[in-house]
Amino acid sequence: MQANQEVKPILRRMIWWLIGLVVVGVLFAAVLGTGQDAGMVLSIFSTRFLGIFIEAVPFLLLGTLVSGLLEAFVSHDDIARLTPRNPILATIAGAFMGFAFPVCECGVVPVVRRLYSKGLPMSVGVTFLLAAPVMNPVVFISTYIAFGLGPVLIGRFVITAIVAIGVGLVFALGARPQEVLQPHSLMPVMGGSGDVIPLYAKTKRPSLLVGLRQALDMAGDEFFEMGRYLIVGSLLAAAMQTLVSQDVLLALGRGPVVSVMVMQIVAFVLSVCSTVDAFLALAFVGTFTTGSILAFLTFGPMVDIKSTLMFLGVFKRRTVFYLIVLPMLMTLLIGIWLNLNVVL
Amino acid sequence: MQATEHLHDHDHNHDHHHNNTQAWVKTTLLFGLGLYFVYNIVSGNLTNYINVRFSWLSYLAAILFLLLAVSSVLKLLRNEHHHDHNHDDHQHESISWSMMAIVAIPLVLGTFIPSRPLGADAMNGDFNMNAVGVTTTVSFEKPPLERNVLDWIRMFNVSDDLSLFNGQEADITGFIYRDDTFTENQFLAARFTISCCVADAVAVGLPVAWDENIPSDTWVRVQGHFELGEFRGEPKPILRPTSIEIIQQPEHPYLYP
Repeated sequence: MQANQEVKPILRRMIWWLIGLVVVGVLFAAVLGTGQDAGMVLSIFSTRFLGIFIEAVPFLLLGTLVSGLLEAFVSHDDIARLTPRNPILATIAGAFMGFAFPVCECGVVPVVRRLYSKGLPMSVGVTFLLAAPVMNPVVFISTYIAFGLGPVLIGRFVITAIVAIGVGLVFALGARPQEVLQPHSLMPVMGGSGDVIPLYAKTKRPSLLVGLRQALDMAGDEFFEMGRYLIVGSLLAAAMQTLVSQDVLLALGRGPVVSVMVMQIVAFVLSVCSTVDAFLALAFVGTFTTGSILAFLTFGPMVDIKSTLMFLGVFKRRTVFYLIVLPMLMTLLIGIWLNLNVVL
Repeated sequence: MQATEHLHDHDHNHDHHHNNTQAWVKTTLLFGLGLYFVYNIVSGNLTNYINVRFSWLSYLAAILFLLLAVSSVLKLLRNEHHHDHNHDDHQHESISWSMMAIVAIPLVLGTFIPSRPLGADAMNGDFNMNAVGVTTTVSFEKPPLERNVLDWIRMFNVSDDLSLFNGQEADITGFIYRDDTFTENQFLAARFTISCCVADAVAVGLPVAWDENIPSDTWVRVQGHFELGEFRGEPKPILRPTSIEIIQQPEHPYLYP
């Protein structure tokens, strides 16, 4: 555990430096490459970046606030109590539990770990883990504002449900908790995430004022944690729109297979919070296929760099591998199928 | 105000003062972002970035940022003397300097780079002369002189015979855009359309035939009538102005389809 604690921050820091270097390098090369006035390029870039940021950030704030309130006022017993006992039914219910308990991507892993310790069936946890970041009122509203009531909004929720339930059922058929979970996740009182876990069980509800204060404190911290992904993602999207020529984007974005893969990689690397990724996706709409946009909006919330690091704290390595590969393959196939067969 | 929640003792081996500075910087950033949103709303710069339909979201953001900032100040004042931590199940990393640096980026760009809407330089040869959301019939019900660039393009798109527009009067505003695919006396009276925010901006424009050379990116009001002509090798109604007036950038630089 000690070693784990040391390695992760270093890894994380390295990833950040690497992303930073790539961003700066690409920007320099591209600004020099366009031959336009650098001041003008910067101005356009800034407008594009701030546009995404200003449109998206209210949803990030709402998301963090909701998860703060949930943390403060809803105990995990409530969630466990409301889960159906029949495993198949529960797996399907798990896909939609997010609407009742809107946790974001970063909040879902610890919640699932807690629920497992309360005896939640394996498959339900997996389904909840994959679906919850999308099955969420805040995500619904932000996707609606970005795309309107149309194929992208509907597709996002339908595909997420299909993939999450599908992967959940795979686990329902095969796995037993001892085989997939880290040993410490099976214990009622857990550690091992690399963070300090409170030793008391959170059974008492806080008073309203204290609870609100806790929620606001948490939301403030979470804004900084999640905000950086949004900001780095928006910087890259704005840079792409400003600096990469339309021809290059079309070459990548028109292929029914390639476009889906590219958008999956983009989703994995950017790790942007599900409440705001719809606005980033807008930047790709003119040039990328609808199947690839949907892959971005469904695969990204399930698996990305940040959630992979968290999965590793709860699940065994082999399970984490399946948790990444199964959603990836399923969203890839669905994306390609949509591109080839459905005119959206 | 004494905290009544569980105080959980564990080793605080990190430097208290260092943490406090960070907490103040964090609070300042939250205030700064709140004020930035207020500034955007008050100055009207918001219309450079998002569809006005969604400006309520920015009001919300301003309120929430200021709320978080106030709560952060209160927490700091509470913690001046005793140091408590709220524990929760979220896997929070402590807020680091690099996180704060990243969160400061929008504030820095928003403050130091003058706010401008997308214009001719952002187009880069990429504009849409065709289908732009022909889902609304509003464009067709407007009296001709009230139709904007987008309304006219929609009308052209659903028309089988473009010569029907010959002689129709129009009164439109747009910025001037030219590139080397135009003939010498042509320019485009262009507008960006956005449905959500500038991320989905698409440029549209009406070709105008005019001999005088008005600089690119200038905002103009063009009054005249259409004549079927040729634009980039295709038959298009071309606006023949009776007057062109150079105007200030309009309050809403974008059109909302």
